[in-house]
Amino acid sequence: MRRTRLLALSSLAMLVVAAGCGGGSSSSSSSGGPATTLDKTPVTITMWDLWSGQEGKPFNDALKGFTKKYPWITVKQIVQPNTPNDTFDPNLINAINGGNAPDVAMPFGPDYIGQYCSTGLWQDLTPYMQADHLNINDFAPGAITYTNSGGKQCALPSLTDAFGLYYNTKMLQQAGLTPPKTMDELMADAKKLTVRNPDGTIKVAGFVPLNQWEELGPGDLANAWGAKWFDSSNKAVLGTDPGWAAALRWQKQLIDWYGYDNITKFFAANTNNEFNNSNAFQTGKVAMTFDGEWRTAFIKRGAPNLQYGTVPFPADASHPDQYGSSRVGGTIVGIPKGAKHPDQAWLLVKYLASDTNYLVQMANAVGNVPTTRAAIASPSLTLPPQFDVFLKAWVNPKSAFAPPLQAAGGGYANLLDTFEDKWQAGKIPDSQLESQLNTLDQNIDNQLTQGTAP
Amino acid sequence: MLLLLSPWIIGFVAFTMGPMVLSFYYSFTHYDLLTSPHWIGLDNYRFMFGKLTLNGQPNQGDPFFWTSVQNTLWIIVFGVPLRIFFGIITAMLLTRPKRGVNGYRTLFFMPSMAPTVGASLVFVYLFNPATGPINQFLGHIGLNQPLWFFDPTWAKPALLILGLWGIGDAIVLYLAGLLNVPRDLYEAIAIEGANAWQRFRYVTLPMLTPVIFFTLIIGIIDGFQYFDQAYVSSTTASGGVGSPDNSLLFYSVWLYEQAFSYFHMGYASAMAWVMFVATMALTAVLLLTSRRWVHYGGGLS
Repeated sequence: MRRTRLLALSSLAMLVVAAGCGGGSSSSSSSGGPATTLDKTPVTITMWDLWSGQEGKPFNDALKGFTKKYPWITVKQIVQPNTPNDTFDPNLINAINGGNAPDVAMPFGPDYIGQYCSTGLWQDLTPYMQADHLNINDFAPGAITYTNSGGKQCALPSLTDAFGLYYNTKMLQQAGLTPPKTMDELMADAKKLTVRNPDGTIKVAGFVPLNQWEELGPGDLANAWGAKWFDSSNKAVLGTDPGWAAALRWQKQLIDWYGYDNITKFFAANTNNEFNNSNAFQTGKVAMTFDGEWRTAFIKRGAPNLQYGTVPFPADASHPDQYGSSRVGGTIVGIPKGAKHPDQAWLLVKYLASDTNYLVQMANAVGNVPTTRAAIASPSLTLPPQFDVFLKAWVNPKSAFAPPLQAAGGGYANLLDTFEDKWQAGKIPDSQLESQLNTLDQNIDNQLTQGTAP
Repeated sequence: MLLLLSPWIIGFVAFTMGPMVLSFYYSFTHYDLLTSPHWIGLDNYRFMFGKLTLNGQPNQGDPFFWTSVQNTLWIIVFGVPLRIFFGIITAMLLTRPKRGVNGYRTLFFMPSMAPTVGASLVFVYLFNPATGPINQFLGHIGLNQPLWFFDPTWAKPALLILGLWGIGDAIVLYLAGLLNVPRDLYEAIAIEGANAWQRFRYVTLPMLTPVIFFTLIIGIIDGFQYFDQAYVSSTTASGGVGSPDNSLLFYSVWLYEQAFSYFHMGYASAMAWVMFVATMALTAVLLLTSRRWVHYGGGLS
């Protein structure tokens, strides 16, 4: 009920905004905000983004709607290189500090949002949002977890990722299985679906539980037990929240069943294939996999004959309320400090974050989750039925960005990865798991302290 | 004169002296690029070497500093002598052939012309434990097949092999050194009835010591700065920087992570200065001891 009402409200707001702007001669629909009247002097604003290659054209097409809406604003796009080790944000910080800030910045991920909001490198959008009656709750409960830091709403989401379990329909049918709902079922099904070569190595893996495997992280497993990363005083609780140890033991049990060397070799054989047509799920080398919503588009392009389904990632039987939630987070958009035309920049930010036509057009073209409730409900969405799981995961109240943002950034998660390297390889005895997790907590706290050292 | 030197002076001051002085200052500050640096005394250095009190709370210090030091020492202790050893052997073999000498020399030099990043990527592919030709070969001859870049024990040896493959630059130096050994020394020792080993031990090796010394110093400095191969192979093979299990977390890699992933510019500057001091100290020690074993000047020493 609540969802429907919010939906109706936000689409109404959208209509009002659209009408106000589409009218051409009428002034802004906002009142008492940063810009009381729309300044229609022709102006050029700059935007940094990463939309290139296959996604470049759809983005440019979808951006035409903005030019139509605000014909006096020219958007000068500066497409940054999309490198594996994110250079967008360091370059942006340098540009801001050097006084060359773009008016709008649109990175593919919120990894630096903690720094951006807490230091004011990106402007707080709250006054603009209030003036235009745009609320972060119009998006989804999880939106605030990666666009707001230290109480400052310095970014808005613009399309996101959400995660779930993909399964190969044929393989499950042949094994007489239905998609797993609990972690115990996932374990049992993974074993049943695995096919080995005569020498014990893996031909088809039921489910690969390795930390390095594609999108899967220890946090995604721990989410099945509702495990928390930090307590209310922002201290790491991986050692004290029993969910972590439970998730890690689940993971280790499955790894040991495969044999660490076998599953590592299987991973090695498929490494770097995640985003091409040799992808293990698309080629039938894994029966079930944890993956993001974009895989639906990849399958459509690269393996159109694959019969597959999606379900939420299983939750442990002890935490059924976790079922349906997932890690979420994706492209964000905001106004850097020192932007030369902040008011016009806000119009673009608002468009990219909340224009239903834009979001629907982009979601259809690049296969990401549209981020407003209005866009999710739009009849113009042409996404496959398997996409529903991800739309629902996005609006699930338990979905959140992970690892949680810290003012010092997300680097602390590397400590967990190192821990996982040891744990998966059996270098941490089971009896020491809790005490080693406590040490990990200390290391995380230390690193975050160092990040905010005096 | 000053005018002729000015491009160098300007470059030196702007791109070497300036940054060095600044980084020395930053090493005593908390500096995250976002806000202006602010003075915290020796805290960065304390954090590096162990325990301290930060914000009134006990802090165990950098958990990976010593890991990165150990990894770096490993690659220096094994890498530098092996490069010298194989460099000399290969160079000596290359003095042998009568025909096609230039062809062979080009062949051996070629790997060191390959860009490090490209070479590292190729090695990750070659050493892939499941699909790579190296393990397929090892399997055919019935040997143990390590997980290479996916196993903390075997990741560094794989990088060592990469280093030995790209040994061409050292070979060229040794080759030049070998060809510079005066013939009359060999004639003299031959008259005294020396065998092949004695010829090597008492003529070739002493005459090569200046080159060995040079490659030793350069090798150690390169070892401290070991970065590209480790960064590329760890991120392309098993996922994260320094993985698996931080076995490829070398000093420079950790410094880079601190600076550009965590924005701990102050701490990274402190790390850079510790590396600088360590390199200088080691080089100074080697320079002092070199008088005992390095022979300069055409065999007259």
